[in-house]
Amino acid sequence: MPDRRETLKIIGAIGTTCAFPFASDELYGQHVHPPPGVQSSYGAAKFFTRDELRTVSRIADLIVPGALDAGVPSYIDYVVNADDGWRKLFRESLADLRAAKFDELSEQDQVAVLEKHIDQPGDDLQTRLFRALKSMTADGYYTSKAGLVDDLGYQGNTVLESFPSCEIPEH
Amino acid sequence: MAARIYDVVIVGSGAAGGTLSAHLAKQGVDVALVEGGPKVNTRTDFNTHAMPFEFPNRHIPTMKAGKPGYDSERSRGVGGKTMLWNAVAWRFSERDLRGKDYEDAGENWPLHYRDLAPYYEKIEREVGVCGNLDHLEDLPDGVFLPPVPMKCSDLLVKRGAAKLGVRVIHVRKATLSRPSHSRPACHFCGNCMAGCDVAAKYNSADVHIVPAQKAGYKLEVFPNSVVREVTISTDNRVTGVKYLNRETKREGEVRGRCVVVSCACVQSVALLLMSKSRLYPNGLGNSSGELGQNFIPHFTGGIQCFMTDMIGKPVTNDEGFLDHAYIPSFMHTRKRDYARSFGVQFGYNNRRSVGWARSMPGFGKAYKQSVRERYPAFMQFSPYGEMLPGKHTFIDLDYEKLDGFGLPLARRHVTYMENERKLYADMIRWSVDILKTSGAEIFSGTDDKPSTNHELGGCRMGDDPKRSVLDAYCRSHDVPNLYVVDGSVFPGSSEKNPTHTIMALAARTAEHIGDRLKKGEM
Repeated sequence: MPDRRETLKIIGAIGTTCAFPFASDELYGQHVHPPPGVQSSYGAAKFFTRDELRTVSRIADLIVPGALDAGVPSYIDYVVNADDGWRKLFRESLADLRAAKFDELSEQDQVAVLEKHIDQPGDDLQTRLFRALKSMTADGYYTSKAGLVDDLGYQGNTVLESFPSCEIPEH
Repeated sequence: MAARIYDVVIVGSGAAGGTLSAHLAKQGVDVALVEGGPKVNTRTDFNTHAMPFEFPNRHIPTMKAGKPGYDSERSRGVGGKTMLWNAVAWRFSERDLRGKDYEDAGENWPLHYRDLAPYYEKIEREVGVCGNLDHLEDLPDGVFLPPVPMKCSDLLVKRGAAKLGVRVIHVRKATLSRPSHSRPACHFCGNCMAGCDVAAKYNSADVHIVPAQKAGYKLEVFPNSVVREVTISTDNRVTGVKYLNRETKREGEVRGRCVVVSCACVQSVALLLMSKSRLYPNGLGNSSGELGQNFIPHFTGGIQCFMTDMIGKPVTNDEGFLDHAYIPSFMHTRKRDYARSFGVQFGYNNRRSVGWARSMPGFGKAYKQSVRERYPAFMQFSPYGEMLPGKHTFIDLDYEKLDGFGLPLARRHVTYMENERKLYADMIRWSVDILKTSGAEIFSGTDDKPSTNHELGGCRMGDDPKRSVLDAYCRSHDVPNLYVVDGSVFPGSSEKNPTHTIMALAARTAEHIGDRLKKGEM
């Protein structure tokens, strides 16, 4: 059986995939990590109307710039559609926002609306809506490829031949 | 047609059942291993390397599409929880086993460290445990593969903790740090708890059950068989188990000279409580009334923080095998106003979990920047404490709520008493002190209530048949051929992760059962 050094050589030779030298055993045959998965395609919104989706997309992109491109509004649609409580809250509170002509406000005024409601205590409809939108946008963005991999720079889920020791001198 | 009678029928195939089955089979014992879930293939069935964005709800399902298993509490899979555990492997010390002797609280085990030590060593040699020799009286050393280097965040905490006289050590895990035992070494993909698809991390199917079968020992697995009753004859001997097929719900039976119940703490207690008979109307082997009592799960808190030295620094691939460091108990040597102690596990979440981002204040560019800067610096600190047995914390059955098999659901009743409240407050206080001294920005978790993990107790061992369910060999005080081996047998939980001790007990019990079979006592 090859020792650690030989094993590392085999791993090193083929880069980020690795072959453990146990080909005769069905369990420990070549170990290849699958290529990074693609973002699931969700298709058209199932709950939000076109107007609602536009408002949700606008707010999500104000909370985390880039959320729209990362597909966060469809994630929010998925989450809201799956729960009666969310459906009721979003339908009612988005209607109120539309009545207040949120979509027609300037960016500065829209930001002022967000500032009034985000991270605030309280149970009124608007505060609950923005609290949910903040959580859902953060969750959706930082689990998306754009957020987790491209923005934050997640590097894990790969094959390392050994665990890298800390390289910061004072550690 | 006379039904086949096995020497031993084991219910459950996890750390306890898997170890027992292989150890017994290797002694030439004819073993039936009855498991509620399906056979799973470690290589192909788990979503080990998936990313959250591959799924519309961003939750990575445990199993790949179309692969059954791990779908409910009663039906996991062959391998039990060892398929998804984090593999932390401590030996308990004499203090852990003799808590009542040490501080007149809780209960002693009917065992001493010297009784378990040979079996800890046997398990370490058999499955491969990595770790450092730390020479701590309270955390006995063992036979280890080399430890894995600590992460940057661990080293920062190590320096901070040292200022308070607290020691940080390498974690010890049943995960291979080098190729060994005909298995590959860990490759640090950070997905330990999603099913290690190369079995560098111990699981009972790939390390115990399948190798024993391949070697030609008599070990027959009955997958998809949800046991609903352990049967008993009128002359006070268990005769086997009745089960329902997980898919067809059809009833079946496996008979044996001896039955071992190893289906994880709460499920083992539930199965015995459900197994009512004329001899035992309150549950099998429950003449003491202690079955379901003395439930002592660990209680834990999670403090989330950012290491300020790492805020805004480049992201590195430090997934590793999740937690690389540990703070072993230190309060047991210090003055305090409660019994028992705690230890601290270091962030066993991987860097795919960014759930904390939703609680970061603000929005817009500044918010996004703040999350990005803190991402490489995030760390979770999880102290674990020991609960004393008490009458308000127990397991019972809810016959009003039946599961898909028509079986009553098990209920956990947990009440934190004065000792737990004091210990919890102290472990949070110490955690915050250590983190702050290490230069951490505390983010959340200091006001959280404790949560339970590592279910233990409910079917405890003891010398007194009136106050315990099992004897020192995990054998029922009431029924001479009934055994229970898993976390439920612990009379005291320690603060240390329990699985290594469960496996050592399984090895010890397997030897005992094998000896009794040879003597014709079954």
